[in-house]
Amino acid sequence: MRPSGAALHLDLFERPAGCVRMLEGSGPATLWAPRGPALGVYVHVPFCVKRCGYCSFNTALYREAAVPRYLAALAREIDLAAGAPWAAAVPISTIFFGGGTPSLLTPPQLVSVLEHLRARLAVAPDAEITVECNPESVSPERLTGYRAAGVTRISLGVQSLDDRVLTSLDRAHSAAGARAAFETARRAGFDNVSTDLIYGLPGLDLATWETTVRGLLDWGPDHLSAYGLTLDEGSRWHATGMTGLPAEDTVTEQYRVLARRAAETGFEHYEISNYARPGRRSAHNQIYWRAEEYLALGPGACGFLGDTRYGNVKATERYCAMLEAGTLPIATHETLTARQRLAERLLLGLRLSEGVPDAWLAERVALEPGRLPALLDSWRERSLLVSGGGRSHLTETGFLLSDALFVELL
Amino acid sequence: MATALIRNFSIIAHIDHGKSTLADRLLSLTGTMDAKKAVGQVLDSMDLEKERGITIKAHTVRLLYTARDGKEYTLNLIDTPGHVDFSYEVSRSLAACEGAVLIVDAAQGVEAQTLANFYLAADGGLEIVPVINKIDLPAADVEGTRHQITEILGLDGDEAIPISAKHGTNVVDVLEAIVARIPPPTGDPEAPLKALVFDSFYDSYQGVVVYVRLIDGRVRAGQRILLMSNGKVYEVQQAGVFSPDMRPVKELSAGQVGYLTAAIKRVADAKMGETITDALRPTAEPCPGYRDAKAMVFAGLYPIEDTDYEGLRDALEKLKLNDSAFSFEPETSLALGYGFRCGFLGMLHLEIVQERLEREFNLSLIVTAPSVRFKVLTTQGEVLEVDNPAKLPPPDKIERLEEPYVRGSVFVPTEFMTAIYKLAQDKRGEHRSLEYLGKRVHILFDFPLSEIVVDFYDKLKSVSKGYASFDYEFLEFRPSELVKLDILLNGDPVDALSVVVHRDKAYEKGKALTEKLRGVIPRQLYEVAIQAAIGSRVIARETVKAMGKNVTAKCYGGDITRKRKLLEKQKEGKKRMKQVGKVEVPQEAFLSVLKS
Repeated sequence: MRPSGAALHLDLFERPAGCVRMLEGSGPATLWAPRGPALGVYVHVPFCVKRCGYCSFNTALYREAAVPRYLAALAREIDLAAGAPWAAAVPISTIFFGGGTPSLLTPPQLVSVLEHLRARLAVAPDAEITVECNPESVSPERLTGYRAAGVTRISLGVQSLDDRVLTSLDRAHSAAGARAAFETARRAGFDNVSTDLIYGLPGLDLATWETTVRGLLDWGPDHLSAYGLTLDEGSRWHATGMTGLPAEDTVTEQYRVLARRAAETGFEHYEISNYARPGRRSAHNQIYWRAEEYLALGPGACGFLGDTRYGNVKATERYCAMLEAGTLPIATHETLTARQRLAERLLLGLRLSEGVPDAWLAERVALEPGRLPALLDSWRERSLLVSGGGRSHLTETGFLLSDALFVELL
Repeated sequence: MATALIRNFSIIAHIDHGKSTLADRLLSLTGTMDAKKAVGQVLDSMDLEKERGITIKAHTVRLLYTARDGKEYTLNLIDTPGHVDFSYEVSRSLAACEGAVLIVDAAQGVEAQTLANFYLAADGGLEIVPVINKIDLPAADVEGTRHQITEILGLDGDEAIPISAKHGTNVVDVLEAIVARIPPPTGDPEAPLKALVFDSFYDSYQGVVVYVRLIDGRVRAGQRILLMSNGKVYEVQQAGVFSPDMRPVKELSAGQVGYLTAAIKRVADAKMGETITDALRPTAEPCPGYRDAKAMVFAGLYPIEDTDYEGLRDALEKLKLNDSAFSFEPETSLALGYGFRCGFLGMLHLEIVQERLEREFNLSLIVTAPSVRFKVLTTQGEVLEVDNPAKLPPPDKIERLEEPYVRGSVFVPTEFMTAIYKLAQDKRGEHRSLEYLGKRVHILFDFPLSEIVVDFYDKLKSVSKGYASFDYEFLEFRPSELVKLDILLNGDPVDALSVVVHRDKAYEKGKALTEKLRGVIPRQLYEVAIQAAIGSRVIARETVKAMGKNVTAKCYGGDITRKRKLLEKQKEGKKRMKQVGKVEVPQEAFLSVLKS
């Protein structure tokens, strides 16, 4: 279900140039061969009980009866992917169930997907398997079931520990409910639990934010993702406009408070929006930032194979129908040029604290220097970019301004 | 052809009084083209002309009309540009005619350009046929308009023909009056060739097509012709008439209007006002009144991308082929790099050139604040002409500065008089005369040209609810208390943003400029200080705060493409930015100098 006419419009007309929009039934017969030694798998579970105002992701209204059809289509999609000649030889190192609300799947439903994946693809025995969970859909039975199915990591959508803020976000859970869900995950045996927060929210002052951050860190999560709110196209808030957004200074201060507290608690700020205890970085998300490859499964899921980035059809109904007809549900695909691959490696890699090899920057500068050398110097001068030991990475302040650099690296 | 059966005429009018509509009506009445085709107003054929509803380039067309006396007449309608920027062009077109149909709108009455065009025609000794148009309008006041024609123009208002060009009412009477009242051309077909160039355009196949009015003699293909102002000799390839498309004829002779092609490469080689004669048997005297169209407004044109410099030069050369009034020469700016100083007849001309460069040549340009040409008397006793504020010598080297003045003529209903005087005062206008014409007044002011080139006309219209009309002509250079106002970004002067202003207005202008720039310069990694200064004295300052954050929080579900495309879009936007020192300045910043 699309949230608004505006989003639909975007889908139809704003298709980026260079992207091939597939005609009905004309998708590739088989998937592109990967270059690298391993793959991640992203599985999109589109269902949500209701859609939150800030959300721009591809979601579908949850109806119990719609799930079996979706699961059958997903199984069919796994079969088609597995039909690629390279499939058996490439190990799957991570699986990530994102949504939507993947935790709406019952343990047997999740088991069926994982079993099918294991049966048809070379899922590594030590693969990181993450399921995103909304606190209100978490129960001991469900998480115990997930654990038994081989899920290794839970990502909990806490968003805030202030009930007033949670209500304004349209979230169905309370701060206490989030805490309970976290403990449930621990009791179910998950030693790798990530939590999500959002800052820069309407009405969120610095004190409330600081309380949320402290409170959450006190739980002792293993990983923390914190996103500054953006009113993305496709969200209701973008369409209707939003008042009460905090001033830019407040938002950057919220970012800094978080970075400070996380560091004090022993977290590494390893990506613009992500913090982890040592050894607990998200293996799956690092695939994205390192411009490595991953398979897309589910409606609207995006994948990257070889030199091709592709995206599935977004509408769940259409996704199912295509798979029932035996075709890969790919809506768009784009083969990257060498220049685009380099640009992506740079602007994704610089999102990580590990940064990028200086050689990549040199390669980009050699292609079209323009004012890039001067710009990089000024970023270094202002301690936004740090170079040393053959690599360059952005600093905490550099992260905050990163798009200003990325746009020049294209 | 007997010259007795030829009439050469123009239609002159204030803007929107119905010139193009009447021209179309004459065309369809004489069967030059059918009525349906006339809808598009053939004479305005450039896209820009249609969009703006004005005539930029003159056109000409030949009508064949069988009059009530039973004879078939050849009526050459020579169109004139309809904007004050192009009054020299109007005068050259009129020089090719014996008469002019002067249109006055029955609801609006005589306006500033009615008067200006009337003077041009009267000075040229033309027979003037007054016509009162739009008599079908409910607000039409035919008698009042007759009265104005008599009072203001000194013509016989009772002779004016009341018409509705829109409905065709009485338009035949206009044709009859052209035949009856405008004299046929005189001239000796046997005398040496003497032809006046009243327009020309560049055609990529035939070279320059020259519009000519033959005063004496004959011309035909193969004939060797001499252009008298520059001494160049060409061989005529084709002679023809416009009916309304170009149609070759065997010969053009004295009194006729038509065109010539002669493998002329550039419009500048056969300028408006030029005299063409026979190379072997030249005429003794060229047609009077030839002068180079003089650029009044100057601006720097710079490519946003340095790599477009050659492309810009080529484009300017191509435009120049077809526009002899336009001039350009290379110039360098510390802020903008390599570009061109260009001269224009006026702001409209500048806008047209800019629009054509962007549309037809796909160039992204920065246009610096337009300037007039100043006369500088240095302490060394030299006299310099400076058309770029950045080139003005330092204040201690200037003995005296002079700026061009124009005589401005305003027609306005009496109720807006106060507002007009207030505006004139803001623009340093000096009142010259005031004349009451019933419910309206005609006021003459002397204005510094620099005050009226940019937004004067818009302001005039706005303070008078659209009722005021305006025209101007160059007067003289006058000494003035002028200062150069510099704009500094983070302490560095940006030469391309310098303006020359009157001392009394410097503070106000400096404040307006810095405020405007603060609004258009995007936030950068560091704070940007915007200062306005006279010499070393800072008179205004604004600050653009440093960028606080510019970050994509998430690329959810690995949708990298969306993120990259968003950045690519931003990059497109950045192409319209110019790096000035370390500060990124958008294209609009340079334009904002004019509008503040």
